[in-house]
Amino acid sequence: MKGNKSSWGILGKLLISLSFLLVAMPLLWVSIASFKKGTDLNNPTQITFVPTLENWKEVFSSGIFQSAGRSAFVGVVAVSISIVLGSMGAYSISRYKTGKSLTRFGILAAQVLPPAVLVFPFLDLAYRLRLSDTLVAVIAAHLSFVLPVVTWFLIGFFDAAPKEVEEQALVDGLGRFAAFRKVVLPQVAPGVGAAAIFGFVLSWNDLFYALILAPGNAATLPVRIAGFNTFRGVELGAMCAAIIVSVVPVLITSFFIQRRLVRGISGGAVKF
Amino acid sequence: MAKVTFENVIKKYGDVLAVDNLNLELEDGKFTVLVGPSGCGKTTTLRMIAGLEDVTSGKISIDQKDVTSLEPKDRDISMVFQNYALYAHLTVAENIIFPLLARGGKRENAQTRLQEVAQILNISHLLERKPKELSGGQQQRVAIGRAIVRAPQVFLFDEPLSNLDAKLRVEMRTELLRLQKHLKTTTVYVTHDQEEAMTLSDVMIVMKDGKILQKGLPIEIYEKPFNTFVASFVGSPRMNLINGSCDGGVFNSPSGIKTTLSYTGAKKVILGVRPEEIIIVSESEADFTAKVEIIESLGPRAIVTLQVSNESLTAVINASDMGTFREGSLVGVKFRKDKAHIFDEADQLRL
Repeated sequence: MKGNKSSWGILGKLLISLSFLLVAMPLLWVSIASFKKGTDLNNPTQITFVPTLENWKEVFSSGIFQSAGRSAFVGVVAVSISIVLGSMGAYSISRYKTGKSLTRFGILAAQVLPPAVLVFPFLDLAYRLRLSDTLVAVIAAHLSFVLPVVTWFLIGFFDAAPKEVEEQALVDGLGRFAAFRKVVLPQVAPGVGAAAIFGFVLSWNDLFYALILAPGNAATLPVRIAGFNTFRGVELGAMCAAIIVSVVPVLITSFFIQRRLVRGISGGAVKF
Repeated sequence: MAKVTFENVIKKYGDVLAVDNLNLELEDGKFTVLVGPSGCGKTTTLRMIAGLEDVTSGKISIDQKDVTSLEPKDRDISMVFQNYALYAHLTVAENIIFPLLARGGKRENAQTRLQEVAQILNISHLLERKPKELSGGQQQRVAIGRAIVRAPQVFLFDEPLSNLDAKLRVEMRTELLRLQKHLKTTTVYVTHDQEEAMTLSDVMIVMKDGKILQKGLPIEIYEKPFNTFVASFVGSPRMNLINGSCDGGVFNSPSGIKTTLSYTGAKKVILGVRPEEIIIVSESEADFTAKVEIIESLGPRAIVTLQVSNESLTAVINASDMGTFREGSLVGVKFRKDKAHIFDEADQLRL
């Protein structure tokens, strides 16, 4: 029995290592590539190379940090609006069954539509409102997918929150909105945190809307990275360095809040 | 303190009638217990007092003020739920003073009240903890503390002891009783446990299918049950109900049980006999004989299951009266006649 158990253990560890490698390898490759010269990059079989900071210098002088700042701004604003509106929407759908199953389905169905369907109306609207190539247009477009995702995510958490606690608050002297804000919302706090991170990552990684609505002066990070694909070809080294700039903040944030994130996701998963 | 009045109150969920034309007065300062099987409408009734359920039609008043359409917060009540419903993100102290602060009370004044309540309930040492760090019994005390921190017109309890283990349940029961006697606040308490209802209530109300079957002192209900349902619901072990016929003061059942009764009418009846009203006697004094099937000893008493043909009777016998009989013995049986209950077989009502 014991031998059997330990061989399963070894197999498990092997599988985990393999999965880890699958995820980590591309990141590792990109990190290494960011220190390679263009000539070294063109020969994939070459193992040794002389590291260079050329790519990083190019990336730093390309205004990538301003773009990262813009991406962060767009993400924070889109997520903040989504949390405020989404939590109220999700609560209403969960508690009062607003719109019955049609609302739940509608939210999900909106996610299935390709962004291309929405991008032209957004572009047209941005032109008319003189908002093209501004972050306002990008934020509005990001709300079209961050808000439904956050709402969908939170419905499960509100479903799982005991109704009695809210009723207790009503009896204890709060009005309905105050009970929602002071008692119901704190109960789903882990879910709100998880939804916020999830929504932020979606916004942070969006290229499609940002590229079409704000390709110029208000370029976000993914747009800036895509900019390394020039008419002379892909500047692979610089692009790799830019990718690292894009991935590292998300990795660091996730690391510090991973516990809450996992608890949040599994907490809501019960009733999804 | 206040009187709670229901006038022609009806509650429907779609087509389902949960509470059927309730007319009821819950007396000022009394401990009223609503008891009945699940789905009888007792919890709905309680929640309608709290304002957590809308009334389909009719009127509810607290202290002669019509509260039918008022929000829960405007009804001046406190409530304890079955699962305690503590605010998990707040400490015990914050939980207890929550109703005071929610109604615009000052934190400094609340502190004095908090200390008083904590002392009454013996939870002063737990005030800085979060609810999840407490045992079930401690959580229950916090929930009660939160209910008594204000002086509301009415206390509402929705099966508050159901989640506790048996020993703690009995302890908390005594404590609740002591608390209510001290505070003298009108209390409405819902339970499905008839023993809890018997021990706690000043006034006991037995409900079934959204209707009140009987209202009265617990002992009245125990001694004079309105129909066979109340008779078998109240009392543990439950009352023996024997179908048979009565003629000229003699009862006979098809299974062979016979006894003399004070009732002299001639009709088909159901004879109700409490387990403690069955006596084991020598065969010469017996009305009929029965076979001892099972003996469950409780120390000073034993629950004895007797078999008469295809009929089972449950008796509670004092250890001193147990004599020499064993499982399988044939014994003489007699009922205490003045304590027998007679119900009409047709409508199941008490005769």
